[in-house]
Amino acid sequence: MLTNYLWLIPLATGFAAWEMVTRFRLIPQANLPTFSAVLGAFFISVQDPLFLLRIAHSFLSLICGLLLAFCTALPIAFVAGSKNKFDLTFTPLIMLFGALPDLSFLPLLVLWFGPGSVAAIIMASAAGFFPIYFTVRDGTRNIPRELFEVTSIFKSDRLSTFTKMILPAISPHMFSGLRLAYDFGWEIIIAIEIATRAAGIGSFIEGSVSGGSLDSGFAAILAIAIVAVVVDRVFFGSLESWAKRWA
Amino acid sequence: MDPHVELENVSKFYEARDKTHALHEVSFAIDVGEFVSIVGPSGCGKSTLLKIMAGLDDPTSGEVRFQGSPVRGPHDKISMVFQSFGLFPWRTVLENVEYGLEMHKTPKSERRALSREYLDMVGLAGYEHMYPKQLSGGMKQRVGIARALAVEPEVVLMDEAFSAIDEVTADVLREEVADLHKQTGKTFVLVTHNLSEAIELADKVVVLSSRPAKVKKIFPISLERPRDRTHTLFVHIHRDILHLLKEELENTLTRHKLKGIVPLQKLHDLEASSKESPAKEPEAAAPVSTHISAKAEH
Repeated sequence: MLTNYLWLIPLATGFAAWEMVTRFRLIPQANLPTFSAVLGAFFISVQDPLFLLRIAHSFLSLICGLLLAFCTALPIAFVAGSKNKFDLTFTPLIMLFGALPDLSFLPLLVLWFGPGSVAAIIMASAAGFFPIYFTVRDGTRNIPRELFEVTSIFKSDRLSTFTKMILPAISPHMFSGLRLAYDFGWEIIIAIEIATRAAGIGSFIEGSVSGGSLDSGFAAILAIAIVAVVVDRVFFGSLESWAKRWA
Repeated sequence: MDPHVELENVSKFYEARDKTHALHEVSFAIDVGEFVSIVGPSGCGKSTLLKIMAGLDDPTSGEVRFQGSPVRGPHDKISMVFQSFGLFPWRTVLENVEYGLEMHKTPKSERRALSREYLDMVGLAGYEHMYPKQLSGGMKQRVGIARALAVEPEVVLMDEAFSAIDEVTADVLREEVADLHKQTGKTFVLVTHNLSEAIELADKVVVLSSRPAKVKKIFPISLERPRDRTHTLFVHIHRDILHLLKEELENTLTRHKLKGIVPLQKLHDLEASSKESPAKEPEAAAPVSTHISAKAEH
């Protein structure tokens, strides 16, 4: 059981080393604040409702983006996974778009929707589309033919075939895709908030660093890290292991 | 008595894939409560035939009749056991057995009770809440059999049902299937490439030719049950069917060679030798087949 917490050792060592190099000014504190200063700023920041609202704002943009990605990718991926002709027609196109660097579209999105959350949400959904699409498509393709015959022989209707056979069969893949999309999503949201100075925690980091208060900037990064990791492990982790309980 | 299941000139062509001719005018009849095995060279289309009987596939021409009316799609009274078991890995053993009943809209309490009854029958009482991955191959197939029987079908189709199981387990399971057949009195149809298995279980063995599959011969098996594989008659029937299948295999090989690789001289040699062998066969086969038909009559 204790071995599950071994990762805490290098983490604590890292923080200690950080404290040392900054305290003894091996790195000037104008470039890197001490770890203790960051911790101090963190505990002050988390008591500030505006700071918390900014995090909530970024998190909500991300969730909206994910939902949008999920709702568009799932049906298309499902059809691509089950109909070969559709797959051959559309998947190469989707791969092509996936290969493009998403952020290159940012100026256009800002032009069309303004430098706000709408652009961030659309961007996050575009980034999340691909992992969901490819995991669900592959999951659907890998359902053994025999299982479809089982549903036919017992005269399952289309709806039951989807809800009782296809959906459970692809759910482990679907949740893995969703988790990847969530991880990508954070990067995109923060990048856009920094670039467009839209409301959210990204623009707070940008403001703090350019205003010289590096400790607040680091405090915000720490806060994002905690939210991102906790949601990833606790929510997506348990969702995934629940979906794979039988595998 | 009218046959339970009747195949009349069932033919199958696949349009999409280079117009393969899979089945050619296959006709035979199955009586109520009869156990029929279908054997044939691998890839001859015997599984396709079973799928057509199940209503999972349509014949290009001809028809399959169940109790006199044509089968046009899956039927409540025709059930199936699958080669790779066809279990849903996300359902427990009990839930897997319940699946067919669920699709047939059987009320929940009734389907629970029925499923438990059939699980008990296949010797899996106590395993209800396990997932398929926790079971051995033989146990998985027992679940498959329980699921097929739970919907109370009149015809149970088995597609290579023992071929994905280790030999010793398969042997035990075969005996149990023989018992289930006796107990339930249902009609069973088994597709297999295992001749001993086919003879051990069946009231008659339908031998198909290589592609396009035609009915080559039907062997009635009147040996007493439980069957002894070392019984002289068993051995004779086995040898006879094997002989037929080998002949089929040779025909296929010759046909492949004719497609081009063999130089002309060798081709002549081949033709000469293939003319010789059929001449020998009737003598070798004759005494045994009369033996069988004599047995079949009383």
